[in-house]
Amino acid sequence: MYGWVGYILRVNLTDGTIKKEALDPVEAKNYIGARGLGTRLWIKECDPLIDPLSPENNLIFMTGPLTGTLATNAGRYNVICKAPLTGAMAASNSGGYWGPELKYAGYDGIIFEGKAEKPVYLWIKDDQVELRSAEHIWGKDVNETTDTLKEETDFDARVACIGPAGENLVKFACIINDYTRAAGRSGVGAVMGSKNLKAVVVRGTGAVKVADPDNFYAALSKARKMVAEHPVTGQGLPAYGTEILINILDQSGGLPVNNFRDSGTFPNADATSGETLAKTYLVRNKGCMGCSIGCGRIVNVPDGPYKGFGEGPEYEAGWSFGADCGVDDLAAIIKANNYCNELGMDPITLGSTIACAFELFEIGAITEKETGFPLGFGNAAAMVELSRQAAYREGFGNEIAEGSYRLASKYGHPELSMTCKKQEMAAYDPRVLQGMGLNYATNNRGGCHVRGYMTSPEILGIPEKLDNLATEGKAGWTKTFQDLTAAVDSSGICLFLTFAIGAPELSEQMTAATGIDFTVEELLKAGERIWNMERLFNITNGFTKKDDTLPPRMLKEPVKVGPAKGNVNRLEEMLPEYYKLRGWDEEGRPTPEKLKELGLQ
Amino acid sequence: MLNPEKCISCRTCELACSFKHEREFRPTAARVNVLQFEKEGISIPLMCLQCDNAACEKVCPSGALKRNEVTGAMVVDDAKCIRCKMCVQACPFGNIAYDPAKRCILRCDLCDGDPQCAKFCPFGAITYVEANSGTLAKKRAYAAKMKEALQEVTK
Amino acid sequence: MKVKFFALLRDITGVKETTNFSGTTLVELLEQIANHYGKEMSNWLFTPTGPDEEKKLGKDVIILVNGRAIEHLAGLATPLKEDDEVAIFPRLAGG
Repeated sequence: MYGWVGYILRVNLTDGTIKKEALDPVEAKNYIGARGLGTRLWIKECDPLIDPLSPENNLIFMTGPLTGTLATNAGRYNVICKAPLTGAMAASNSGGYWGPELKYAGYDGIIFEGKAEKPVYLWIKDDQVELRSAEHIWGKDVNETTDTLKEETDFDARVACIGPAGENLVKFACIINDYTRAAGRSGVGAVMGSKNLKAVVVRGTGAVKVADPDNFYAALSKARKMVAEHPVTGQGLPAYGTEILINILDQSGGLPVNNFRDSGTFPNADATSGETLAKTYLVRNKGCMGCSIGCGRIVNVPDGPYKGFGEGPEYEAGWSFGADCGVDDLAAIIKANNYCNELGMDPITLGSTIACAFELFEIGAITEKETGFPLGFGNAAAMVELSRQAAYREGFGNEIAEGSYRLASKYGHPELSMTCKKQEMAAYDPRVLQGMGLNYATNNRGGCHVRGYMTSPEILGIPEKLDNLATEGKAGWTKTFQDLTAAVDSSGICLFLTFAIGAPELSEQMTAATGIDFTVEELLKAGERIWNMERLFNITNGFTKKDDTLPPRMLKEPVKVGPAKGNVNRLEEMLPEYYKLRGWDEEGRPTPEKLKELGLQ
Repeated sequence: MLNPEKCISCRTCELACSFKHEREFRPTAARVNVLQFEKEGISIPLMCLQCDNAACEKVCPSGALKRNEVTGAMVVDDAKCIRCKMCVQACPFGNIAYDPAKRCILRCDLCDGDPQCAKFCPFGAITYVEANSGTLAKKRAYAAKMKEALQEVTK
Repeated sequence: MKVKFFALLRDITGVKETTNFSGTTLVELLEQIANHYGKEMSNWLFTPTGPDEEKKLGKDVIILVNGRAIEHLAGLATPLKEDDEVAIFPRLAGG
């Protein structure tokens, strides 16, 4: 095969067997790779109703056909399993160098089955694959684990591992590769922890081949030129990283503040912005394999209580630990974000859960008796300490570790959890970005911004400017963004490319790489197929139309201040049209005709 | 010209290099390597510096290494090369390697004057310039920094 | 009125915000800003046009008046009052 390397590794952790299997080319064509193909392989083999933390929940690492090539920024892979946070399908996307390295070792993906009796890690050196004891690194953080494993295998090996949060089954634990790149959302790290699998270490010396090198060279050169010349991917993201969004969201009134309670404007937003980061703690930029943007931020806080070296924060973390917790101390935000990298947690869910705890404390639903110290918006020290405690399930961290839905429900206020399908929404207030609200509500993995990034047209004007406060036309845009993103996620390239290139450029690269004619229509169709497949899984798990919703605060409590003052999300104006455009019935179920059209019966 | 301070560790050069020479993506076959100090966030691109007085050429027993007079690159003649790997050992920088997969010597040939690593490097960490204009630019940049520092002191 | 600058534009202005400019419409205000900071700023704010042609907004600039994107107001003709706040961004993205 071209693009794909053509093999999958199957590792049974219960009995220790390891098999190399051929990749089914028909499945690969229909579901592309990474998110799509991984989800397909999971659904084919697993019972959808299992407990996410049981040995029966296969954990799949999957790359895309472009991963590891010179295609535009193709350093990505996905981790797929049933999610402990949501009960929906998890497919968490990560960059770095690990995914490409797996392909150079000769595998498109790995399926982990069962559960090891004692902590283990998998060591892959091309054709030599073995399970080794990880008892000596169990309990260690990501940096120590990665250092140790590189030392005992190969200096050039790449490590994907869990930190203490994954071991402690924190519901939003991530898998971290290459020290700081995360398969972040929905708790895939907890599933890895439940299998007693500490790390997957890879060194590959082989090749990824493409079907038509000359046309591939032409296609990628053209696309790379567009990326370099675009003001966002060529200038803005390299200069400031994703944290650049803080100010524009704040100025537009769409930056959620204090658990979305006081949204509208965050008085000292600029202190937490990408501009400020670039002038203060930024050391240098960092990119993933084949990246031409380099949005990663190497940062150093030279002194004070939050002294330390690390990477980030991204915009989402800058907001969740910042405006959402009422904190404007950038050093404290960096510290909490460093905990996420080192201990292996998703900063969106963690920050938003801490914000929820702050609000529960302010209304008296929890007190110092439970928490051990005072909480409240603006309390940076409490925010940082809870971040650390959550990973170890220490003190009140044991409650934070469950995510905001379970936390708020336990103390009698589920309405204070800013989640969709139990997963925390990201840094865009759906009362101010109406289309983003529709995306959160309909997203197959719950509150998630990266699978239908409506911020792009609603705030940033890419590819064109839509009125963020209007609902007209948002259903169609949301569907198109969701389908295209499913194809992009599955191909192995970085989503940020879509600010500069579109489906035609992806189609050219995919076709030349694989030798299969992936037209624009077919890519979008594959994206739609993947979306509907995820939807069917959710329906089997009992999700219905009533789960396609937003927290009541978004639908009933108007924004209090700022340019979008007075607005709520008008989901009811968009949802029926969205179902219709998707070819679903009024209850949000794909119709038999739609399933037939997509080959999903 | 190598400017490690501009390198973001993306290894695009390795991909471009192996694609040009092998028509596949195999970083271990790249003639340019990015040495990463990941935790510190520092990375150094390394490749053949095309020494004027080249140890590899001197040590080659079969006369397989010859300078291309147009590009200035030292080039291996695969037909003459006996794969003794003496050049690999002689290079003081480790910038020549042996590829066990294809049984040949891996060394930079400047892509016949159109080096792909420099072409694809997104941030100018690798550039292909006249021998002295590169260092002059560096000198100017450092001089500008010194000037700023002096102005700061004398304010 | 208060004008705020962000991201790369701050490298040109050297300040985050200013009250030195004013105008009864957005285009008047932007012309003052372009004249003051010179060609680089002008290239962000306006698409190059001939001397007699009507001014056209730059394709890679985002302008908010009181938090609303000017595409949803009256574009360059948006009327301004003294207590208005104008925020100017280069096209940017992230997430």
